[in-house]
Amino acid sequence: MNKIPESLNEALQYLKEGTYDVLAGGTDIMLKNRGYAEAPVPFKKNMLYIFNLDELRYIATHDEHIAIGAVTSYASMLRHPDVPDILKRSIRQIAGPALRHVATLAGNIGNASPSADGVLVLYLLDARIILASADGEREVPIEDVITGPGKHTIRPEEMIKEIRLPRRTFSNTFFKKVGARKADAISKTSLAGAARLHDNVVEELRIAIGAVNVTVVRDRSIEASFKGLTLEDLKARVDEVAAAYDSLIRPIDDQRSNARYRKQVSFNLIEAFIRQL
Amino acid sequence: MKNISKSIDKVDAHEKIAGETAYISDIKREDMVYAMTLRSPVASGTIRNITLPTLPEGYAAVGPEDIPGRNLVTMIYEDWPVFPEKRVNYIGEPLMLLLGPDKERLASLLDAVEVDIEEDTPVLDYSHSGVHLHYEKGDSDKAFADADRIIEETYTTGYQEQAYIEPQGFVGYIEDETYTVIGSIQCPYYVHEAVKVTLDETDENVRVLQAPVGGAFGGKEEFPSVMATQLAVALKKIKRPIKMIYEREEDMVSTTKRHPSKTTIRAAVKDGRITGMTSHIGIDGGAYIGLSEVVLSRGMLAATNAYTIEHLDVDGDVYLTNTVPNGAFRGFGAPQMIYAIEMFMHHAAKELGEDPFSFRKAHMVKQGDWTSTGGKFRDPILLDEMIEKAADISDYHKKRKAYEDENVYKGIGMSWFFHGCGFTGSGEQHIIKSRVEVEKDAQDTVYIHVAAVDMGQGPKTTLRKIVADVLDLPIERVIFDYPDTHRVPDSGPTVASRTAMIVGGLLARAAKTLKETWREGEAQKVEKRYQQPDYVEWDGECMKGDAYPAYSWGVNVVEVEVDKHTYEIDVKDVYSVYDLGKAIDERIVLGQADGGQAQGVAYGYLEVMSRENGRLKQTNMTDYIIPTAMDMPKTDNHLIDNPYPYGPYGAKGGGELTLVGGAPAVAQAIEQAVGRRVRDIPATPEYLMELIHNG
Ligand SMILES: Cc1cc2nc3c(=O)[nH]c(=O)nc-3n(C[C@H](O)[C@H](O)[C@H](O)COP(=O)(O)OP(=O)(O)OC[C@H]3O[C@@H](n4cnc5c(N)ncnc54)[C@H](O)[C@@H]3O)c2cc1C
Repeated sequence: MNKIPESLNEALQYLKEGTYDVLAGGTDIMLKNRGYAEAPVPFKKNMLYIFNLDELRYIATHDEHIAIGAVTSYASMLRHPDVPDILKRSIRQIAGPALRHVATLAGNIGNASPSADGVLVLYLLDARIILASADGEREVPIEDVITGPGKHTIRPEEMIKEIRLPRRTFSNTFFKKVGARKADAISKTSLAGAARLHDNVVEELRIAIGAVNVTVVRDRSIEASFKGLTLEDLKARVDEVAAAYDSLIRPIDDQRSNARYRKQVSFNLIEAFIRQL
Repeated sequence: MKNISKSIDKVDAHEKIAGETAYISDIKREDMVYAMTLRSPVASGTIRNITLPTLPEGYAAVGPEDIPGRNLVTMIYEDWPVFPEKRVNYIGEPLMLLLGPDKERLASLLDAVEVDIEEDTPVLDYSHSGVHLHYEKGDSDKAFADADRIIEETYTTGYQEQAYIEPQGFVGYIEDETYTVIGSIQCPYYVHEAVKVTLDETDENVRVLQAPVGGAFGGKEEFPSVMATQLAVALKKIKRPIKMIYEREEDMVSTTKRHPSKTTIRAAVKDGRITGMTSHIGIDGGAYIGLSEVVLSRGMLAATNAYTIEHLDVDGDVYLTNTVPNGAFRGFGAPQMIYAIEMFMHHAAKELGEDPFSFRKAHMVKQGDWTSTGGKFRDPILLDEMIEKAADISDYHKKRKAYEDENVYKGIGMSWFFHGCGFTGSGEQHIIKSRVEVEKDAQDTVYIHVAAVDMGQGPKTTLRKIVADVLDLPIERVIFDYPDTHRVPDSGPTVASRTAMIVGGLLARAAKTLKETWREGEAQKVEKRYQQPDYVEWDGECMKGDAYPAYSWGVNVVEVEVDKHTYEIDVKDVYSVYDLGKAIDERIVLGQADGGQAQGVAYGYLEVMSRENGRLKQTNMTDYIIPTAMDMPKTDNHLIDNPYPYGPYGAKGGGELTLVGGAPAVAQAIEQAVGRRVRDIPATPEYLMELIHNG
């Protein structure tokens, strides 16, 4: 049976049974359960409809992080002053206006697609995910939540309650989504970058690449290897940066693009990010 | 006199915006069952056996053995079976229908059918010609023998999907012993004839009604006949109302699309001018010929587009492949050919070291010139003025120069083109034989009786406007209901940019007669039949003479910027000037321009449909990319009056014209932006990457 809980607690009680799928905005899950016109939706599992849980609809600014409740829509995130600009840049390119009123960042995580645009920025920002169950909560880094296309470590009795974004300032950020058109497009590849410079020296460099591997690519050891360089040195070694990612960029041919293109463009975007620093 | 072009609100705008219009999927009948289609999983093979699961009470299966009449769908060329008996020729080919009250149950029954087909190797390349056409003018051999230079290039174009908002669909029922089908269709009488022949019934026992159509673009020209004949066979067998609506994916894999093509053009050049040309255009017809021969011929007739080439030799083939049959799509063969010849003229100039704009202009047609088939361009051609206007509003010449800079990833392209109005050759006279009626009742309310379909392009408004204007009546007094073959004569299919010019022209004449004989308070009826203008002479066999009674003209300018990191194409501006005689309603025509350009430009750079081993790869609206409002810039479109003496108020055709020039304009712009020659479309970022990296 599908359920419409009235509180988070009630929702967690249902989840305990281990037979429910959470339905937030439904913009992924409705497609996965597509049926025929003039026939009921053939849900493959019991649905737990959480989009009307107002207690999970919030954006709260704390000293160390920003907390985003699980059913906060993209549209309301765009309106909030404390949502990091780079996340907003990504959200503005997700789907179209109508969808952004119902779709959620938690749903973007739950769907666990390597081309998810919101998730890409969560990787870049070191987001931490609060997973709640009737037994309590745990906090997990984003890269430990998503393990492969459509695969994640959220247990059947758990759901995402909140997304935490550590508050960090960067000297420079970069976001580029490459879709087949300007709206309503699934990324062929995407890149988010951020850097912190001090006295012309690279203190921190972050790069996240989407749609070129089974999960978003982020490699902290590569990033660390370019730390401490002067900006000029970094730019002079831009080819090395791209080359460092070579083995991680393993895209596929599919109905939307091809591997050669995805790879070349990923390299170009790494270069573009470094050059604009 | 009032100006007919002055826009009024579309008569169906309000009910459509308010969501009140009942489309085919909104229609239900009592005791209705649904039909689902069993489809071939293979591209080529011979059916050994189809084993059905036990069908529950109220469920039925319908296949080739149930067809009372002929198992071929009536259309221009007849090779398309209602249901194949032995050979299957493409993935998705309908093998039989399953019918029943519950869709989910039907779907699981469908899954349980065992289809045993002996598969063989499908034909997937341009090797099996099903139709060959040829025509010539002058002496091209001599032109080539005398040439001081020969230039040759080959172009390819991809599939294009109509992507109408509303998938194909019908509801059928038996009423007063009449087989009645109502559907989302462009051509009620095509469906009528096809159903009649398949059922082996009389004209009176078959009735076809048009439901409001949510977009068609040619996709609902011949394909609905295939679907309707299948539904009619089922109707005759189970005698219950049936609803058959395709889901989007089903529609995309199994209905007709724009033919992919490959065109080679060779030109003989003497003293810097093209004196002769040979062209070959090959189009991929898919598994059945259907309309492909006519599509090919319209393509071939556009071989020289708006240029006069003295010596000409044009060949064309429809190649049969084991893929979904291709068919009618706005432009009908012309977009492929006009793309090729526009690019060729541009590239030929580059080869010769000449300025493409001046070179192309030097070859441009003028009034009084011979057409490619030796007919005559009789009416004034205003291209000079139109090109000047387009160049002016777009600042074309200045930008063209500025964007030559290698470091600027911007480009601007200009195409000019024509579109022949109405059916090719004497098709109107010999095949269509259009008939219209204007009737008035004793209350002096006037009724338009034609089979013309409004699929969004506006005849519900424009045809009423014409009749109301001639009769000097308010438009509310002129009624035009959705066509019903029991009530309206056959005014022909709603295709080939013919409705305003041909059907509208006949209605204007009928209204004029009614006005002249008007008797107040009395019921009256006037009928008019099509008569070919005396000057039209056409030899279909040799493709010689006047291929069309009139031509509409257009100029498109497209500006793009290409991202040097991602090769993405950003269409910045679109400017156009059109001569379609006289707009019956300016806003409706400008609406056609916006839509046609979006479809035409996107054909050149955006819309990708490809296949692997006979299977289409983009089969839903997530993967088949059409432009959104974000992708199309605000357009700057202009109309220029050039009244055609035989059209109503001077109107010619406008429906297709606005699509045919989009691809070459955007391709030229992209070519300039990346500094590489574009030959294949869609010119996607993936293609541009290869061009840039490999030359
Ligand atoms: C037309 C269209 C365009 C799109 N464009 C884009 C795009 O540009 N970029 C992009 O990244 N995505 C895009 N999407 C995909 C989709 O909109 C996003 O992934 C969106 O973020 C999903 O959110 P939702 O709330 O609708 O998720 P739902 O569909 O409700 O759920 C998705 C998955 O997450 C799970 N889930 C949801 N909430 C929770 C929770 N609180 N805890 C645990 N699991 C949960 C669900 O069980 C399900 O498995 C598009 C979709 C459509 C239909």
